[in-house]
Amino acid sequence: MIGYVAGRSPLHRAHPYTTLTLAGAVLFAAFAMTEPATVWLLVLAGAALAATGGVLRPSARTALAVSLPIWALLFVLYGLMGADPRVAVGPLSLSAPGIARALVLGGRVTAIVLGFLTALATTSPHRLVEAMTARGVPFGRTFLLASTLTVLPRMQERAARILEAQQCRGLRLGGSVPARLRALGPLALPLIFGALAEVDEQVLALDVRGAATGGRRTPLDPPPDTRPQQALRWGLLLLVAAAYAWKFWRMRA
Amino acid sequence: MTPRLALAGVTFTHPGADRAALRGVSLELTAGEIAMVAGAAGAGASTLLLVATGLAPRLVGGTLAGSRTIGARRCGIVFARPWTQLTGLCSTVEDEVAFGPASLGRPLAEVRAAASHAIRQLGIAHLAGRDPAHLSGGELQRVVVAAILALGPELLALDDPAAELDPAAADALYALVPSLAADGMTILIATPDVERAARVATRALVLEQGTVVADGRPADVLPVTEVGSLARAAGCPPPYPLDVPALLARIAPDAGGRAHDSSDAPPAGSGPDTGAIAR
Amino acid sequence: MSGWDLRIEDVRYAYAEVEALRGVSLAIRSGESVALVGKNGAGKTTLTRLLVALIRPAAGHVAVGDWDVALRRPDEMARRIGYVFQHADQQLFARSVREDVAFGTRRLGRHGPVDAVLEELSLASYADVHPYDVPAPLRKLVALAGVLAMEPGVFVLDEPTAGLDRSQRELVVAALRRRSALGVTVLAVSHDLGFVAETAERVLVMESGRLAADRPAREFLYDARALAALGLRPPATAEIGRVLKLPDAPIRSEEVAAAMRGVRWKQNPE
Repeated sequence: MIGYVAGRSPLHRAHPYTTLTLAGAVLFAAFAMTEPATVWLLVLAGAALAATGGVLRPSARTALAVSLPIWALLFVLYGLMGADPRVAVGPLSLSAPGIARALVLGGRVTAIVLGFLTALATTSPHRLVEAMTARGVPFGRTFLLASTLTVLPRMQERAARILEAQQCRGLRLGGSVPARLRALGPLALPLIFGALAEVDEQVLALDVRGAATGGRRTPLDPPPDTRPQQALRWGLLLLVAAAYAWKFWRMRA
Repeated sequence: MTPRLALAGVTFTHPGADRAALRGVSLELTAGEIAMVAGAAGAGASTLLLVATGLAPRLVGGTLAGSRTIGARRCGIVFARPWTQLTGLCSTVEDEVAFGPASLGRPLAEVRAAASHAIRQLGIAHLAGRDPAHLSGGELQRVVVAAILALGPELLALDDPAAELDPAAADALYALVPSLAADGMTILIATPDVERAARVATRALVLEQGTVVADGRPADVLPVTEVGSLARAAGCPPPYPLDVPALLARIAPDAGGRAHDSSDAPPAGSGPDTGAIAR
Repeated sequence: MSGWDLRIEDVRYAYAEVEALRGVSLAIRSGESVALVGKNGAGKTTLTRLLVALIRPAAGHVAVGDWDVALRRPDEMARRIGYVFQHADQQLFARSVREDVAFGTRRLGRHGPVDAVLEELSLASYADVHPYDVPAPLRKLVALAGVLAMEPGVFVLDEPTAGLDRSQRELVVAALRRRSALGVTVLAVSHDLGFVAETAERVLVMESGRLAADRPAREFLYDARALAALGLRPPATAEIGRVLKLPDAPIRSEEVAAAMRGVRWKQNPE
């Protein structure tokens, strides 16, 4: 699951800037944290965010799917092959600092993915464009951002159709590595060509609707922004800044 | 009266192409005219629409030679695939239609009024609150046309607008064209569906390899349709009829012992009731 | 080349909570040419996807010849069924039209008549051109050519004439008639009743996930009321045949033209 999922959760109803700031705070704070405990606290915060948005299960599933291979790699690189001192865990002799490092890096990845997926799932592209238009952001930038939110589900759908079509032409999926590599062309190329052709047409269609006039757009239905939400956003930005300040101060000490 | 479009000796070449897509094209279109462009695939019909609306070379690149004057205050174009013409950013049909006027920065009340008017013109008031992503191809094309009408174009180009639509939806879309022209809009249609377009067009241009080889009344200049080909095979002399009513009208009343009551024949341009436009 | 028969027994299928197919059964004999019509959402495309194992029925049985489709993958079904998607032009990827047309038949380990098929569909002049440099309606023909070159025993086509002009439609009709004459089975989903008239002997009507009617094409295309219920009008041939009361309900152009010999024509239109 990647993309907007309609809903009525507090995150859905919040101003899009608030939802994006929350997700962004998780993302940036993850890089500021250096201890396993604090990083995994952030992972929990990310999960709590997803739960608030009513998208915990799908987000967690995707986050795990992405994270597990990375955790495994980190475990081997740092846990098994890391520096001393070592600690015995069952039959394995693991590097203590290595495990700590793996937990930090792995936790960061998971926190970032969770935050990103939650933001994507609970931010309606439509409301985001309206919010940005109300702030006077030029349409080109709003469209760029909003399109990146909608592009993944569209590409996924298109990719599924192309996959089916090539299978019906005898392309077998799976098999040896060379076979999989050979299958890339018939699968990826139509996706790219088709996407480019669609972009061409969409540019023309949008131009005809006045999207490129460059002047100020009239917002049709801007999402309401409240003082508490504005305060929350500033608070989060300050928190993240403080976290980095703390990190650099500790590094110097 | 200033023509809505005046092309004189226009030659256009797409970027990177070795031959010109349009060669020495000259034509003038006035208010209320419905012109159709017929030609084989690659003959230049779609390119003509892009040049006529000013999108070529401005957005698609390429080189234009000759003289082009677009007298229309604003142009619109509708393509074959409805889904690529949506902004993808609006959760209701009403917002999608309002997108154009909103882009021009008009006051909100004016934007809403223009959108409502266009929605009523296209007979899609019942779809106003729906999510465009969940509409059928036929409904979507109506939304796209409404979205363009909301900007008040004086020249509307239709590039195979019914390609993705089922017959009833295609008939309904073409049925809108005469009333739009009656309001003064100039309409330019390019489509392989020659029969449908010929039912509404007042003028036909035939393109061959980028050159206009014929320009006149549809019945006089269009290449032979399926019905015309059948009539020819059945011994009908030229000019060949474009559609069934025209074919039946060409049969002499006391033909071969087979009489037919002309009231049996469907009236020209008829079809199942596919939704009239609300006025 | 000869065809396979198709058997669908009491299949059910649902997307999310929507029942797309509610107990559909039908049998198409090897070599038959059948059209599948119905309103959007009636289940036509779903039915065709079952035949090529793109989806599995929740209940019921699908067989192509002696193959139980439940035991096959889509790439295996490609050995027997050539499926032409409605937007098949989106699957093109090779460096040239010829290479793309050859893709399917090579995947199957066959050496299908690529150049002959290109000639047949008047695409020979585009053989060395990149598919995306070919005008859009012709890309559709390129996709069809690729399936023709696979020489399957069954063709399943989804709206094969949408967006094509008269001469292109004639090429498609001629190609399918040639294969039908060789005994290949053809099943086409189509709103284009002119195309149905020229190619099909039998029409299956789908309505709300059920098979509502199974009639000879001649009978169905002359039934204006049944057609109107589906939002369709009779094809030109049937309309002419009905008004002129031509004998034997002709539906193909050549039949109607032959039946009209002896008709007297006014020299000029009024």
